[in-house]
Amino acid sequence: MKKNYNNHFHNLVKLRLKIIRPLLFLTIVPYFCFIGVIAFKPEEFSPFIFDTNISLGIFLGLLLILLIFVITLIYVYLANKFIEPKIGLVRRNE
Amino acid sequence: MNKLCLSILLFSNLSLASDGNGENNHISIIMFILFVSVTLFITYWASKRSSTADEFYTAGGNITGLQNGLAISGDFMSAASFLGISGLVYLTGFDGLIYSIGFLIGWPIILLLIAEPLRNLGKYSFADVVSFRLNQRPIRILAACGSLSTVILYLIAQMVGAGKLIEILFGLPYYSAVMIVGGLMILYVTFGGMLATTWVQIIKAILLLFGATIIALLVLFQFNFDLNLFFNEATNIHIKGISILSPGGLISDPVSAVSLGLALMFGTAGLPHILMRFFTVPNAIQARKSVAYATGFIGYFYLLTFIIGFGAIILISNNPAYLDSSKVLIGGNNMAAIHLADAVGGEILLGFISAVAFATILAVVSGLTLAGASAISHDLYANAYLKGKQSEKNEMFISKLATILLGVLTIYLGIIFQNQNVAFMVGLAFAIAASANFPLLLLSIYWKKLTTRGAVIGGSLGLFSAITFVILGPVVWVDIFGNANPIFPYKYPALFSMTITFTTIWVFSSFDKSENGYKEIKKFDSQYFRSQTGIGIDAKTTH
Repeated sequence: MKKNYNNHFHNLVKLRLKIIRPLLFLTIVPYFCFIGVIAFKPEEFSPFIFDTNISLGIFLGLLLILLIFVITLIYVYLANKFIEPKIGLVRRNE
Repeated sequence: MNKLCLSILLFSNLSLASDGNGENNHISIIMFILFVSVTLFITYWASKRSSTADEFYTAGGNITGLQNGLAISGDFMSAASFLGISGLVYLTGFDGLIYSIGFLIGWPIILLLIAEPLRNLGKYSFADVVSFRLNQRPIRILAACGSLSTVILYLIAQMVGAGKLIEILFGLPYYSAVMIVGGLMILYVTFGGMLATTWVQIIKAILLLFGATIIALLVLFQFNFDLNLFFNEATNIHIKGISILSPGGLISDPVSAVSLGLALMFGTAGLPHILMRFFTVPNAIQARKSVAYATGFIGYFYLLTFIIGFGAIILISNNPAYLDSSKVLIGGNNMAAIHLADAVGGEILLGFISAVAFATILAVVSGLTLAGASAISHDLYANAYLKGKQSEKNEMFISKLATILLGVLTIYLGIIFQNQNVAFMVGLAFAIAASANFPLLLLSIYWKKLTTRGAVIGGSLGLFSAITFVILGPVVWVDIFGNANPIFPYKYPALFSMTITFTTIWVFSSFDKSENGYKEIKKFDSQYFRSQTGIGIDAKTTH
């Protein structure tokens, strides 16, 4: 079964990589930074932010939960808006 | 089914009579019976729609993105994470957050790398994807071993936790609690298949999110929703004072930190009961949506457990009504959320949350059992043993048989492990998922040069090393077997076992110059095309 690897498919793969790579980076790097601070320099997370009683660690941790959700939203938005039409193009030209 | 309802009623009445503190139990039992009746009715309804293998394993692929998102969160948010994480926050403050984030960080990985290719290539189990272009028999056996070890370890941990929790909440004896959970799970899955399991998970997710929201709102209400005041109060009350707002001793050395991080990040993407849920939606678009919904629900849920844990510090850690003589929470730290429900919402909320905890256990074990059953019937029996040449009816029969077997085995193991420390088992399940299931799935989708030889050798070594490192490590070798020093020094094996898996797969695939290996590499392009576009799903694939 020979599939024709046309330009449309190449464009699709390229676009998908372009979307996935930065989002993957945005997932893995902040997470391991967070874990890294906890392992190497836990005291960095102690100070309060601004003049509240909320520590930097808790603030960043909650922010990370939010970031994780936002990453999934961004991907779904971009995939539906840009990747799906490209898949449609491949389908029509198959 | 009516008989079972009756026997539960009977059990509950018995326990009420023997226990004495009937008033608390009353509301939770009514709510629990309501949940069981509704879910059994759904099972009856679903049983008429679960006659084909497709319906049994995937609910016919007609679940929407939102429904699946709810069901995934219902599958994933276990009683252990609800009670365990809020208990950990109660005890240590900040450190509970490390686990919450860890359990959430796997979801973008699933979304970005796995969900869509999985939906585009597979039918019933993730082994479909791994064996797409590789040699069916060895790959199916390996994937089923990975699935079954993950599922059984997870099941034991859930079951033992369930037995103990129900013992405390409902005053039921441990054995009957384990048998009721096992019995209901067998009923849901054998008669209602994926459709009933999905709805049990959806209802449970809604109940759990609702219940946790109510507790959190009632807690924050007492502080006029002022987080500043809230954290200030918590640090004033907690023995450790201000240090609960920063990292404690949960992770101390860098190797453990990275290792635990890896297991959580990539383990989620290798959990068979989670992966199976992606076959219930009609296409990759819905699969994608369901992850975003699930991530939202699960993330929101962990925010709530964080508030609940801190709320418990403020409202119950000094209240003698919830403490035993040595100033520890009655029933242990994992009861923080339950006691807090009583403190802020009285016995109605306590009853509701207790029933929700029970429902949560049922939903999680049902999903696990279904995934385990499909590994036995679809991967081992139909594809590895009969090489795909069997009737669908036969496979259905085996899957129902496998469900009952797994259910009975789980009850049995739940009883055997009653007094063992099973907390490490979920960790081990994640380590196996990250070291065997996930690498196989990832490389089979994206790495052209993967061959059967590399996959089988690397995958088996990953599975074997994850288990061995945990057994020889501090948790089992020292804490459980009572030896003085661990042979493997770290608590979390994933950093090492994942390295072993990826390296051996790479080495043995790259040096595989066999004819089969060559053929498998040649099949990659068409597989990649289908995984990226979904074109060809409906066409019959010949392998």
